[in-house]
Amino acid sequence: MTTTLKKALALAMCLSMLVLAVPGFASGEATGPEANAARETVNIRFSQYANSVDDQEGMANDPIKKAIEQAVNITLEYDTGIEGYDDRLSTELAVGMAPDLFPTWGEATKIRQFAEEEAVYDIAAIINAEPERYPILYKIINTDEYKMYNKMYTGDENKAYAIYSFSARAYPSFAGVPAYNTAILEEVNDGKVPATVDEFVAFTQKAVEAGYSGWWPYNAKLTNWAEIDGTIARPQGTSLRTPATYDWMWTGFVPDDESKIGTEEEHWTLMTVSDESKEVMKTLAEMYANDGIHNGVGTLVDEDDGYAAFNNKTLASYGYSYGYYTQFKKLYDSWMKAHPDDGSLADLTLGTALTDSEGNWPRVYDVPSYVGAHYFIPTSCAYPDRVLDLVEFLASNEGQNLLFRGIEGLTYTMDGDTVVYNLDEFVNINKSYGYPNPDRCRYMWFSYLFCASEMKLDLENNDWWDAVTTPYDNTLDWAEGEARECYQYAIDTVQAFVDNVYVQLPSYYGLAALDAEWGKVQTTLFEITNRYLSQMLGGQLDVETGWEQYRAEFEAAGGPALEEAVNEAIREARENFG
Amino acid sequence: MVKDASNVKQPRKTMQQAVGFNFYDVFVVGFCVIFAAICFYPMWYVLVASVTPYEQFVKGGALLWPNGGVDFQYYKMIFENSSFVTSLWISASKTVLGTLLSVLVTSTMAYAVSKVHVPGMKLLNVLTVFTMFFAGGLIPTYLLYIDLKLIRTYWVMVLPYGLSITYFIIMRNYFSYSVPRELEDAARIDGCNDVRVFFQVILPLSKPMLAAVGLFIAVGFWNDYYSYMMYIATKPTLQPFAWVLRRVLTDSAMMSQMRTGAVDIGAQLPPPMALRMATIICAMVPIMCVYPFLQKHFAKGVLIGAVKE
Amino acid sequence: MSGQTGVPRTRYFSKEPRESLLIRFSLAVRKYWFIYLLAIPGFLFLAVFSYAPMYGVVLAFKDFKMNLGVMGSPWVGLTHYQELFADPAFIQAFKNTVIINIYNLIFGFTFNVFLALMINELQMKRLKSVVQTCVYLPYFLSWVIFAGLVQVFLQAPVPGDVGGVVNQVIQSMGGQPIDFMKQPGMFRGILVITNIIKTAGYSTIIYLAAVAGVDPALYEAAAIDGANRRDMLFHITIPRILPSVAVMFLLSISQLFLSNFDQVYNLYNNFVLNTGDVLSTYIYRISLGGGGEFELSTAANLLLNVMGLIALVVTNRFVKKLDVMGIF
Repeated sequence: MTTTLKKALALAMCLSMLVLAVPGFASGEATGPEANAARETVNIRFSQYANSVDDQEGMANDPIKKAIEQAVNITLEYDTGIEGYDDRLSTELAVGMAPDLFPTWGEATKIRQFAEEEAVYDIAAIINAEPERYPILYKIINTDEYKMYNKMYTGDENKAYAIYSFSARAYPSFAGVPAYNTAILEEVNDGKVPATVDEFVAFTQKAVEAGYSGWWPYNAKLTNWAEIDGTIARPQGTSLRTPATYDWMWTGFVPDDESKIGTEEEHWTLMTVSDESKEVMKTLAEMYANDGIHNGVGTLVDEDDGYAAFNNKTLASYGYSYGYYTQFKKLYDSWMKAHPDDGSLADLTLGTALTDSEGNWPRVYDVPSYVGAHYFIPTSCAYPDRVLDLVEFLASNEGQNLLFRGIEGLTYTMDGDTVVYNLDEFVNINKSYGYPNPDRCRYMWFSYLFCASEMKLDLENNDWWDAVTTPYDNTLDWAEGEARECYQYAIDTVQAFVDNVYVQLPSYYGLAALDAEWGKVQTTLFEITNRYLSQMLGGQLDVETGWEQYRAEFEAAGGPALEEAVNEAIREARENFG
Repeated sequence: MVKDASNVKQPRKTMQQAVGFNFYDVFVVGFCVIFAAICFYPMWYVLVASVTPYEQFVKGGALLWPNGGVDFQYYKMIFENSSFVTSLWISASKTVLGTLLSVLVTSTMAYAVSKVHVPGMKLLNVLTVFTMFFAGGLIPTYLLYIDLKLIRTYWVMVLPYGLSITYFIIMRNYFSYSVPRELEDAARIDGCNDVRVFFQVILPLSKPMLAAVGLFIAVGFWNDYYSYMMYIATKPTLQPFAWVLRRVLTDSAMMSQMRTGAVDIGAQLPPPMALRMATIICAMVPIMCVYPFLQKHFAKGVLIGAVKE
Repeated sequence: MSGQTGVPRTRYFSKEPRESLLIRFSLAVRKYWFIYLLAIPGFLFLAVFSYAPMYGVVLAFKDFKMNLGVMGSPWVGLTHYQELFADPAFIQAFKNTVIINIYNLIFGFTFNVFLALMINELQMKRLKSVVQTCVYLPYFLSWVIFAGLVQVFLQAPVPGDVGGVVNQVIQSMGGQPIDFMKQPGMFRGILVITNIIKTAGYSTIIYLAAVAGVDPALYEAAAIDGANRRDMLFHITIPRILPSVAVMFLLSISQLFLSNFDQVYNLYNNFVLNTGDVLSTYIYRISLGGGGEFELSTAANLLLNVMGLIALVVTNRFVKKLDVMGIF
């Protein structure tokens, strides 16, 4: 069966090549698909995290894959994985077997290492040699912003070792909003959504007294403190966290004076082991001891046990970064699965960012765009020019439309200027790749090649930086019924307070980088923080007596030095790029 | 051991025999039954959970019996998924091939090395045990497989495990200790050469151990997913069942540890617990089917009456 | 009777006069050609799959560069080890690993032997077969699932939830519920016990196979001589499985410094890091869950394996004194 299909496909490919080859030869200097048809047909292995390639038959029939293959005159081989994925990719790279286009998580140290060890191509050299072949990429890599990133990563602004990908958001985001079980909220709090930290703590206590367990912050077995920090600590002007190497370097920092950000007097203080953090920790430990925080936090898995407790109506509130509205849909979906007969959106109440008792909002310091999954072409690839043909095509509006709208007449139709999506057809394609649920309307491959938040970019008509910082989110265009209400509800709720919370930093902050040796210090501090905070939360260590020990160990491991280094890095970035 | 065996002949405290006997039996049975129950319950829990509807499952608590009806939807889901069926075939074939190869290679070498009087065998023994402690690691291994053209082929899941050091040691000690020397000597006196001794005396006598080691090796092959994950990775037609299982079990947990930057990459709801449980049951069934046949061999005594004094 | 257990090995020593190595070898090949033939396939596998890539251990002392390859990368001496030992968390993880393995050896290993003997003592054929099947079942639950079940069973009660079976039992007997998974003092115990439940049944297979070789006539003769079952256990069965026990013991010793990642990773949490963090989980965390730490993991593995080898050689000596064949 599959063989027949393969043969049929191969035949179709050959025919289409022949058809396309003729005008390709004729026009000679042509660009775009016509030119690609004249070029050698190669196999390109493209790698992306967390898809599935199990359904070979579905993949062979995938019309979008066929369309891309035809346009670039290549065969595409998809490569993916979750467990062991990073390990495998780094091994394959080391032995010269890496996929022809593969991602990392954007770690600066990796780009530098790849460049130094000549493991990946300098794509700028290839693109600049043939500007007419790669018009969009040529434009992109020669923007000032792109060159700034080159300089930040490898020190040479004219060498680009990666196709940079950024995680820009269509809406500003805020981590740390609890979602409530509406029934419990009404039972114990008269339906009033807690607005301050004190009210929230009191609410969880009332829930416990009424026989429920309190709050489940997303925590990945207490290795991720972002949710707890964002909900409880940030409103009180401090932070419990230490930056991991993949966080913003100022994670856990608070500016001495917010109004001085962007000037020479700006200074940030690492708050992790401060007295304020100690007080927050006392509150948390007390909540935990009184079951105001669910007892399973720290030992059980969030998605399984946290969701189960929430769905079983034993839990008063759950937190999972609902400032990012698609996360809230996950909670909603899981709720509906557990209550297929009587569940509805009204059962869930999305809260708001908490303030301190004086009504001061927490502050989230952010740059417009997160570093995402940068893509590389390994030096073991024999035809980097052809791989770039693929990238060039995907960067074009034609390519972006193919990825985010699909094929006209199949996955969407045009009603005047409005795109009318056919979600079922899109799901039908994506279900071959492990996404059978109607919760996204885009092609699941290449989706974060340029924009890690998986949104459509207009790179053809815009400047690169403008394009990546203003992605187009089509969610509300295709979502229907209660799903759409759910998205809209989450967006509206967050929009109501996000301006009070969100502070956009000058863009040079995104270009500040620490030297590689700080990675070790960051990792050590991160370890210490996790260990101490967990034990203080769980009651294995008393906050009052343990805090001095914590501070001593944290400082000995380089906490204060890191604070200096971060301020220094920000100063340097301001001077170089500000 | 020589002296132990002779002790058996001494008469023992027959007075206590009757009393001690009963208590002893009760203890043995009691102990075995309790431990068996402890071991059985988790399995039972998994089985029950795999047929419990999700709405009931979230209500939690310890399950003794499926509440709210039996629901085979997850089994249906598994068998509708084409990769499950292909992967079962891949796993079965590589387990059979690999086990045959590995038992053959390992046991013959173990037998040879157990003949310590043959020059060179002691050295070979040390050389073999040595590799338990020194391995080249991922990169040289990967390069070797490239040179041998094993990468992305079915054989990378079979050939590298041809010689199993652990079972080599176990087999070797079994050959040199548990197979009576006299039988060999007697056979030789009867005019057998090395070849016939091996095939007609040693192998039949080693059946229990061969069956046990065979089972271990087979389970090893059945459960191996690492070689696919590392050296094949993207050829679903070669996917072993253990890898499919592993993905169902751990992928959602791995995804939740996603780096913070890109929040939503690939994230979707984890597979329901019941689906994971059903997958486990499916993974166990083939081995459960083979087990009784092997158990027969290593649970029953083998008659060694042929040559005696 | 005594002949059953073999003849002293000395009898097999070659008495040939000392000649040049080559001649001796060719003589031996002629004499024992079949033995050599049997060793050849194994030898080939050994040479290709174990020895050919072994040069990779040098990475423990190198700074690996992708463009220079394993051999071409610059030497850095003991830098990787200095890095590891400078970290108190590494030392703690190392201690935990060894302590947990020693517990496993003392309790787990002896339990396995004991269980095998008890199963062997079962007289009722059907019951025996049922018990055997049951005890080996948990082996097939992967640690991901098994750890999940352990958590479910040991869960402490919270408002809205009665807690796991174990705590329900404790409470019904009037005791205070215990939050097992968060007690650093209990974590190693949990590791050892869960390990026993999961693997004990399976590891009895080797012992039972060794016992299966015993001639039933031995027991009959002993019974005629008036031995009771306990006597037979101590004087027939145990001596019979002793070689297997010795080998399994030595194999465990050689793993003394290695840790079971899957088990610990799926059971531990930040509350019990002090007692529960082992080397493999530690290395996993500092390398942020994978990728690129070739040298560090090679270095750590080399160190642990060399220590395992030393422990093995030492133990092997003592075992040999017990008149049981060791590993070397």
